[in-house]
Amino acid sequence: MERAMEQLNRLTRSLRRARTVELPEDNETAVYTLMPMVMADQHRSVSELLSNSKFDVNYAFGRVKRSLLHIAANCGSVECLVLLLKKGANPNYQDISGCTPLHLAARNGQKKCMSKLLEYSADVNICNNEGLTAIHWLAVNGRTELLHDLVQHVTDVDVEDAMGQTALHVACQNGHKTTVQCLLDSGADINRPNVSGATPLYFACSHGQRDTAQILLLRGAKYLPDKNGVTPLDLCVQGGYGQTCEVLIQYHPRLFQTIVQMTQNEDLRENMLRQVLQHLSQQSESQYLKILTGLAEVATTNGHKLLSLSSNYDAQMKSLLRIVRIFCHVFRIGPSSPSNGIDMGYNGNKTPRSQVFKPLELLWHSLDEWLVLIATELMKNKEDSTDITSILLKQKGQDQEAPSLSAFEPPGPGSYESLPPGPGDSKPEVLAGEQEASADCQDVISVTANRLSAVIQAFYMCCSCQMPPGMTSPRFIEFVCKHDEVLKCFVNRNPKIIFDHFHFLLECPELMSRFMHIIKAQPFKDRCEWFYEHLHSGQPDSDMVHRPVSENDILLVHRDSIFRSSCEIVSKANCAKLKQGIAVRFHGEEGMGQGVVREWFDILSNEIVNPDYALFTQSADGTTFQPNSNSYVNPDHLNYFRFAGQILGLALNHRQLVNIYFTRSFYKHILGIPVNYQDVASIDPEYAKNLQWILDNDISDLGLELTFSVETDVFGAMEEVPLKPGGGSILVTQNNKAEYVQLVTELRMTRAIQPQINAFLQGFHMFIPPSLIQLFDEYELELLLSGMPEIDVNDWIKNTEYTSGYEREDPVIQWFWEVVEDITQEERVLLLQFVTGSSRVPHGGFANIMGGSGLQNFTIAAVPYTPNLLPTSSTCINMLKLPEYPSKEILKDRLLVALHCGSYGYTMA
Amino acid sequence: MAQTAMSETYDFLFKFLVIGNAGTGKSCLLHQFIEKKFKDDSNHTIGVEFGSKIINVGGKYVKLQIWDTAGQERFRSVTRSYYRGAAGALLVYDITSRETYNALTNWLTDARMLASQNIVLILCGNKKDLDADREVTFLEASRFAQENELMFLETSALTGENVEEAFMQCARKILNKIESGELDPERMGSGIQYGDAALRQLRSPRRTQAPSAQECGC
Repeated sequence: MERAMEQLNRLTRSLRRARTVELPEDNETAVYTLMPMVMADQHRSVSELLSNSKFDVNYAFGRVKRSLLHIAANCGSVECLVLLLKKGANPNYQDISGCTPLHLAARNGQKKCMSKLLEYSADVNICNNEGLTAIHWLAVNGRTELLHDLVQHVTDVDVEDAMGQTALHVACQNGHKTTVQCLLDSGADINRPNVSGATPLYFACSHGQRDTAQILLLRGAKYLPDKNGVTPLDLCVQGGYGQTCEVLIQYHPRLFQTIVQMTQNEDLRENMLRQVLQHLSQQSESQYLKILTGLAEVATTNGHKLLSLSSNYDAQMKSLLRIVRIFCHVFRIGPSSPSNGIDMGYNGNKTPRSQVFKPLELLWHSLDEWLVLIATELMKNKEDSTDITSILLKQKGQDQEAPSLSAFEPPGPGSYESLPPGPGDSKPEVLAGEQEASADCQDVISVTANRLSAVIQAFYMCCSCQMPPGMTSPRFIEFVCKHDEVLKCFVNRNPKIIFDHFHFLLECPELMSRFMHIIKAQPFKDRCEWFYEHLHSGQPDSDMVHRPVSENDILLVHRDSIFRSSCEIVSKANCAKLKQGIAVRFHGEEGMGQGVVREWFDILSNEIVNPDYALFTQSADGTTFQPNSNSYVNPDHLNYFRFAGQILGLALNHRQLVNIYFTRSFYKHILGIPVNYQDVASIDPEYAKNLQWILDNDISDLGLELTFSVETDVFGAMEEVPLKPGGGSILVTQNNKAEYVQLVTELRMTRAIQPQINAFLQGFHMFIPPSLIQLFDEYELELLLSGMPEIDVNDWIKNTEYTSGYEREDPVIQWFWEVVEDITQEERVLLLQFVTGSSRVPHGGFANIMGGSGLQNFTIAAVPYTPNLLPTSSTCINMLKLPEYPSKEILKDRLLVALHCGSYGYTMA
Repeated sequence: MAQTAMSETYDFLFKFLVIGNAGTGKSCLLHQFIEKKFKDDSNHTIGVEFGSKIINVGGKYVKLQIWDTAGQERFRSVTRSYYRGAAGALLVYDITSRETYNALTNWLTDARMLASQNIVLILCGNKKDLDADREVTFLEASRFAQENELMFLETSALTGENVEEAFMQCARKILNKIESGELDPERMGSGIQYGDAALRQLRSPRRTQAPSAQECGC
């Protein structure tokens, strides 16, 4: 009965409190009953439950084998903690990782729990399995106030963890200033090394804890490297911690020089070093000058090493260019106030700021002397040996007609070396020495060319960083002019130099033109690579190509008004961002990514030539387009031309191909190449023939009575337009007819659409600098914009006609097709362009090739063979005029010469 | 992260030149000094070659940055552009060739004019091992050295005799001049730079200064 009453009583109590009122017998179940109460510090309940039970308060449970005291300390349940301690809980009980309740209280900053634990004589010196003590835990989290209390109880403030790290190490690493001070005040060893020899200062520096480092240095911390010789400064520089470096230098001024010397270390990341030096240089004008002078000295020594032949070219070259890049960067940024920085920089040689370039003068002087030396040797060489090129030609000329060939192909690298001693044997012995000297001279050039070119690049960088952007330093231009011959000799022997080191050419049209013929003779592929390399070089973080796009940068266009809405949004968009990446989304659609961008360019390239907008007209062959001289019927036409230019520029920038083919003359306009009368054929083939006729025939006695003017129809009224000032009264004669043809060509091809061209180029140049596009000719530009087409040679053979004596079965024709099969895809495209003027194979294949007046099959016409003769073509009738070559080899050779040279200028063909 | 020790440790850096006629063995001297080996397949130097070595001179670590110049006349203008800012130079002739000895005056003028008035020079009569073919006597050369305030040694790049000594003597003289205040490393174009000595001195308790402090103490 009594039992039953008690049972009932218990039941009511339990129900009222919504919990059990009796601890289960077995410890494991009991502890999980108690744990939530301890966590919530429900000490009354805990006390009640514990009062009548046999529960072992030191029972360890769970994965890490903690007691309830751990739980209380961890959660800051101070009442429960006291209760448990009173019940005999062991304050020094260690869990599986060796942590005591005190460790947990310290880690979590449970102040009251900590002091109670200490009251119950918890041991502060116990280490966990990693060797961490309570003060380590406090130091990690920067709990200075608690630390202050705790250190009174600690026997050794420098107690080490498993890695030999003290609380001071961890506090420094985490940058807890007051904790560091507290530990130091408590007598912590300021220079204590850990197992790898790292001191607290080392730790502070490795994480760029500027303030902590300052405290340590102020209190006399020594500057010590670790056991591997890595110094605190090394760490700061590796991490790019400019401010921490600054503190180190304050206390150890010599380190200044060390940082400057570090620029030679190729293991260090350039951007980190640059960041540090930039920070330091911005502290004061004197610091700025000191850093730059130091860098200039290091660069000079490196440059001199690069010029000594036994040094490692690759390493030394990279080192020099890196130092100079950093130098120029720091120079340009200027000391603290950037506004006055630049002005003073290029204010001539009088301001102190340009003094920083002085040490480099030594290097430039050496460079100059080297180039002069080589020029002298070249000169001597020319006088000594009979003209090398002529020997070269004689050699090659046995079986082929070399003169024209070599005019197009500059002697490749190594061609000089392969020369036989030649005239040496027939000359008296006295000359033998000179012969040797000249061979030696060739040697000097080949071994120094790369090295000197790298120094030239460095020189250019230094010259241009003193100039406003976009201007080439007169000093550098003068330099190039002075050493013109040597530089050309370098690039002739090894054209790769242009791409590796002569970047200045791209930035300076005056200089570019001097080297253009060499550049254009380089393979299309190499120029493409160079083009894209430079197109993207100016962009920040070019290593991060696919950055996530922010919502604001997405171009949102309407499908039903794609042309107009795209035009609007592109004209508003940030040009620099578009250069980095494009993201397009169609209104009301979810899709985004490369596919959508692709589709956008596809649709737009069709829309641009949509006749409804009247922007472009088809040319006579029906497949290519050019600006419509009457586009002004569309009042907004110039805006749209600018947009068209932007789209093509963007497409080129992002390597997206467009499905438009333009007339040869329009490609020339994009490139800034003057048009010639043959281009007229694309808009008016008959008229082009007439111009050709004038040029081909003597017009003196024909009585044409032409003047330098033309009549045109302006809104129905005939008007006389002079081709040049006073042209109406200047007669066209046999002597000036070429000028007449040129002017009239320009009138038809250029002046009639000048505003449209200008607007187009304005848009195009926003994404593609004119200097870069110059690397290509009009044929290559087409390939760049519209891609390399697939060519089906069988289809081509099937749809080819023969005339003026050729038959399909003729050996020459057989050879021709064999050669077409042999050559590369790229060369086949060149051939197609050479004959038809376009790289495009129309839909339906070669059967549908158009000429100036309707369908016009590819045709091969015979021309009598004379030595030297190259194939020619009439693009308006798709005719290849192929001489009757005596052998397949000669045919192939001549054809390739025509293709490779014909693609840059008709004048040579 | 693989961390490498980044700075070499030395107290001073001296810029050195090796000058003299073609074929006197300048490159071989440099090679012997750095590699402790004789260089068999020696060609004419093109322009200027470079070598460096850290030596201990009376407890101080000195890094020598040595520019070995071509002796051939055609490189003269190029090599001259390396003279500026040199602190010391080895002036080399071949004891078996009077012609190389006769050219010394020109080299000497060049060095003093283009490098610095204070440049420390040591005259090296190289190819000492070819005594049988000697054309220039020791006495004559040492008289020349005396008249021109040069240090003087006869060396052999083949056997290595006196090679290190030549570089050491020259470095020692420069160091003395620094200590006596005759040379100021801080001055631009002195050809001398301070190294990162602070680092070394802290790492191992001052090797050079501790004993002297004791001497003073007692």
